Amino acid sequence: MGTTTTLTAPVAKTYDWLSALREQGLEKLATLSWPGPKTEHWLHTPISKALAELPELSAELNSETVAALGQIGGLDAIRLVFVDGRFQSDLSTGRSGYAGQLSILSQLETSAQEQLEHRLNTTFERALNKDQHIGAWQNLSLLSDGLVIRVAADSQIDKPIHVVLVATPNSRSEQQATRIICDLERGAKACLIEHQVVLPGGQGSFSNQLTEIELEEGAVLDHYRLGLEGQSAVSLSAAHCALGAHARYQGFTLALGGRCQRHDLVVHHLHGGSHCELKGLYLPCDTEHVDVHSCIEHRLPNCTSNEVFRGIMAGKSTAVFNGRIHIHQDAQKTLAELSNRNLLLSPDAEVYTKPELEIYADDVRCAHGATVAQIDELALYYMQSRGISRIDAELMLSFGFINELVEKIELEPLAQFLKPVLQSLFTRAAAAQENPS
Amino acid sequence: MLSIKNLHAKIDDKQIINGLNLEIGPGEVHAIMGPNGAGKSTLSYIISGRDGYEVTAGEIALQGESLLDKEADERARAGVFLAFQYPIEIPGVTNMEFMKAAHDAHRKERGEQPLDSISFMKLAREKCKEVNLDPDFLKRGVNDGFSGGEKKRNELLQMMILEPKLVILDETDSGLDIDALQVVADGVNAQRNPDRSFIVITHYQRLLDYIVPDYVHVFSKGRIVRSGGKELAKELEQTGYGWISE
Amino acid sequence: MPEQIDHYLGLEYQAGFTTSVESDTLPPGLNEDVIRYISARKNEPQWLLDWRLEAFAIWQEKMLPLWAHLNLPDIDFQQVSYFSAPKNMKSNPKSLDEVDPEVLATYEKLGIPLLEQQHLEGIAVDAVFDSVSVATTFRDQLKEVGVIFMPISEAVHEYPELVKKYLGSVVPKQDNFFAALNSAVFSDGSFVYIPKGVKCPMELSSYFRINESKTGQFERTLIIADEASQVSYLEGCTAPMRDENQLHAAVVELIALDNADIKYSTVQNWYPGNKEGKGGIYNFVTKRGIAHNNARISWTQVETGSAITWKYPSCILKGENSVGEFYSVAVTNNYQQADTGTKMIHLGRNSKSTIISKGISAGKSQNAYRGLVRMTKKAAGARNFSQCDSLLIGDRCGAHTFPYIESHTPSAIVEHEATTSKVSDDQLFLCQQRGIDTEKAISMIVNGFCKDVFKKLPMEFAAEAGKLLEVSLEGSVG
Repeated sequence: MGTTTTLTAPVAKTYDWLSALREQGLEKLATLSWPGPKTEHWLHTPISKALAELPELSAELNSETVAALGQIGGLDAIRLVFVDGRFQSDLSTGRSGYAGQLSILSQLETSAQEQLEHRLNTTFERALNKDQHIGAWQNLSLLSDGLVIRVAADSQIDKPIHVVLVATPNSRSEQQATRIICDLERGAKACLIEHQVVLPGGQGSFSNQLTEIELEEGAVLDHYRLGLEGQSAVSLSAAHCALGAHARYQGFTLALGGRCQRHDLVVHHLHGGSHCELKGLYLPCDTEHVDVHSCIEHRLPNCTSNEVFRGIMAGKSTAVFNGRIHIHQDAQKTLAELSNRNLLLSPDAEVYTKPELEIYADDVRCAHGATVAQIDELALYYMQSRGISRIDAELMLSFGFINELVEKIELEPLAQFLKPVLQSLFTRAAAAQENPS
Repeated sequence: MLSIKNLHAKIDDKQIINGLNLEIGPGEVHAIMGPNGAGKSTLSYIISGRDGYEVTAGEIALQGESLLDKEADERARAGVFLAFQYPIEIPGVTNMEFMKAAHDAHRKERGEQPLDSISFMKLAREKCKEVNLDPDFLKRGVNDGFSGGEKKRNELLQMMILEPKLVILDETDSGLDIDALQVVADGVNAQRNPDRSFIVITHYQRLLDYIVPDYVHVFSKGRIVRSGGKELAKELEQTGYGWISE
Repeated sequence: MPEQIDHYLGLEYQAGFTTSVESDTLPPGLNEDVIRYISARKNEPQWLLDWRLEAFAIWQEKMLPLWAHLNLPDIDFQQVSYFSAPKNMKSNPKSLDEVDPEVLATYEKLGIPLLEQQHLEGIAVDAVFDSVSVATTFRDQLKEVGVIFMPISEAVHEYPELVKKYLGSVVPKQDNFFAALNSAVFSDGSFVYIPKGVKCPMELSSYFRINESKTGQFERTLIIADEASQVSYLEGCTAPMRDENQLHAAVVELIALDNADIKYSTVQNWYPGNKEGKGGIYNFVTKRGIAHNNARISWTQVETGSAITWKYPSCILKGENSVGEFYSVAVTNNYQQADTGTKMIHLGRNSKSTIISKGISAGKSQNAYRGLVRMTKKAAGARNFSQCDSLLIGDRCGAHTFPYIESHTPSAIVEHEATTSKVSDDQLFLCQQRGIDTEKAISMIVNGFCKDVFKKLPMEFAAEAGKLLEVSLEGSVG
């Protein structure tokens, strides 16, 4: 261990316009109340209680510890580290050469500031005027730093952008929020990995992270969100995407669960021919709580969306999944499908799922399916008959259930990184099954 | 039997048939061949009266009676039968009730009482045997989950039950292997008689080895550019359609 | 789409006539005096009056539920009359001689003859006209096998212990706004008791008719199937065409004791309002059954009427191996709105439920399925299968699906699927090409779409339901 340097964020420049925006966020936040047990979009997720019960803690951070966090072996990426919402220049690597495409909110040039202000003002209101998105308003009210990705037409960022987000116990008092803006112009391409990590020791933390994405005509974004903020974390996160004509958004969301983890995914098909692919896993165990709300808005014709979420609940955990598909009147020839499958591993785990279809156009093909089941007895029996213990067989089958989605991750180092993470999770869940405490 | 004179038609303001003339006598089999996109399937829709196609000039008559002011179902009852290239699925409506409704409508048109259910079932089962289709298919939804070959045989079955005067086979060979094609062709050939005429629409000569036509027409850009006997099909196989654009 | 559809869909509501009969109708308004009047008129015991007044107090505290996908108008509950009965009639007529002939003629016109010589074969009918039951057929024959089938207002006097024990036991007064309202003002409805081991020898049915203007109907039905008994029950509803909106808020409670089997079918054809959305019945109904060990409760509904439908026939699957079923066809056209579905609450081990819902939207209507499947901790080995399909006719209507699925037990299995489709031009053309006209084609396709539900209806009503469907898809496609 090297010398202990306490990490303090460089004091963010305060811009007047940013203060004004924060003010706007605060005002809006004051008109909304934090959801109670009967708020439809927050049923079963006691966020107010979780926030109130966050322990007051503080931690001394050491730069070496943080440098070691969120390393993905074999991944050649641009690494950008944020600690409690503040950018850490010293710990970030690979940024040089991308100055025009990647900028840090707290370090913006004047012209870029104006552009960003305009961007934040024009797009933020979209679909956010509801209790459902109270987290996004909170994010605005706390906004001080973040990442702005802007890729010009027909160009790309050739390496994945690996954003490591560290929330420390200090975040409780600071209540810091991170914002990522990702704008791809016509035909541009990029790959973004948001990687929320937990400090060794895993004390409680709070984080609020919001990613806003605009894809112009024909742009393609691969977007991974790894929610590994740990068992004691309370976290609110969201991704809001607006898709231009023939744009393609491919999202993968992993939510491992936390004290209270909520992820909101909103996709607007704003022009014809766009496509979105949403895949995801939620895997809470012990007493964790995870809530994924997705909403796909089809506003214009000929767009397609395909959503697949799977969840495994172990221990005394709770998962909430809400998958909404909204087909507006002009969205003829839409193809939209959603599949949500859940496995409950323990008698104390629970799941609440609600796939929703709201359809106002007739020439569309929409379908959703949701299942809650246990592991297939026949498959278990088959494996046992080949000499595999029941516990091992359960483990293999559960892992297989989610591995189908992990296998489809095109970024190979990421898939390789996730497999052991998930494997260890299952071993833990299985051990808990075997020796209930 | 069928007389088409100087036919012009368009869809969505796009001219697709440009002065088509065609005379088909009773019992004759006419093949219409041509490159993809020549408007061959369109022609079958226009004859059978599908919505959305506007005839701007000319005349189509079946046995001397104009078809143009008739709705699609009226034309069907007058004797026009279209065997679809891609038969449409209607889940929930069984094949049996579908065919009975069609058969009843045809009989009513002729001033006859509908067959009672038992007699109709007997008829349908007999015809199933002839087209080598398991009678269980009668209980399933119309074309619902049928394989390509089963769908085509189901079209044939409907043709046998409705006994039309003019049959239009639209790319009947598409999606069929040789064995399935043989079965369908045998069924069609068995239905040939002096009072029934056929239009066989196809891109490939292959089908015409099985259903031998009396006349072959080459269709391009909405009209017939060349006509001949069955040997014309063989010739096209050699030369392709490239010469049309020359 | 072809023009003929317009003609075909232009068929009119056929039960829209009014009966001119002199009625005793309370002036609009609701307060304790109204409740006392209703109770006194029926000569009710004190406990029931107290029960009503408690419900009224609860109702006053409750808010109109706004969570459904409905655009609810302001309903002024003080503008509704809570009691109306034909004048020339005692409250519980002992024979048809005591019933106004105009009322009898009404039922005959609706195809429900009440005169003995014309009775529908194998079907016993309880006819409820506005707030009172006017006749119950086959009562004596049923009594021979121990089956009790009578207006609930009579049952209160003749079988007070049964009524007292079960009334409100499945749908408590405080359950929801409309259940509280019904508990306070319910006027009549059917009471059924099937004794142990008895298979009810005929179909039982209730026929509800709202006739009087500005009147609401608040019937209450209570069906108790004792151990190992069986009953099939059907209700039908119609109302005259009026420009005003009328309120219907019913409560139905089913109790299926061990090994009992209750099949409850509804053909709901309340006046849906005109093409511009004027008039029609507001239909807010709470229906729920409780199934004990090995018991089965099966709800089948064909919902074609009403301007607004808010209805979730539900099953509490309390017993081991209990079975709950919900088969629904809901059709909306013009400006109709429906938010309907079911709740399957699995409490018993190995309980099973099946949900088949077919929604058909046309015109400018909105049609939502809303359902809850809850597997509680105790429901080991429970199973649910749900299939919710929507059919859209035209591009100005809406079809929505809101399934809520909760599981608290790892060995329970829940499967939910939903699809949406339309009557395609291709399908219509295929039918036409085979000589079938558009009217027949649409009717075949829509009936095919609903087939899984129609085959659950008692035979006599399946064909009726099909016809009703044709009528209610009035003017839906242009």
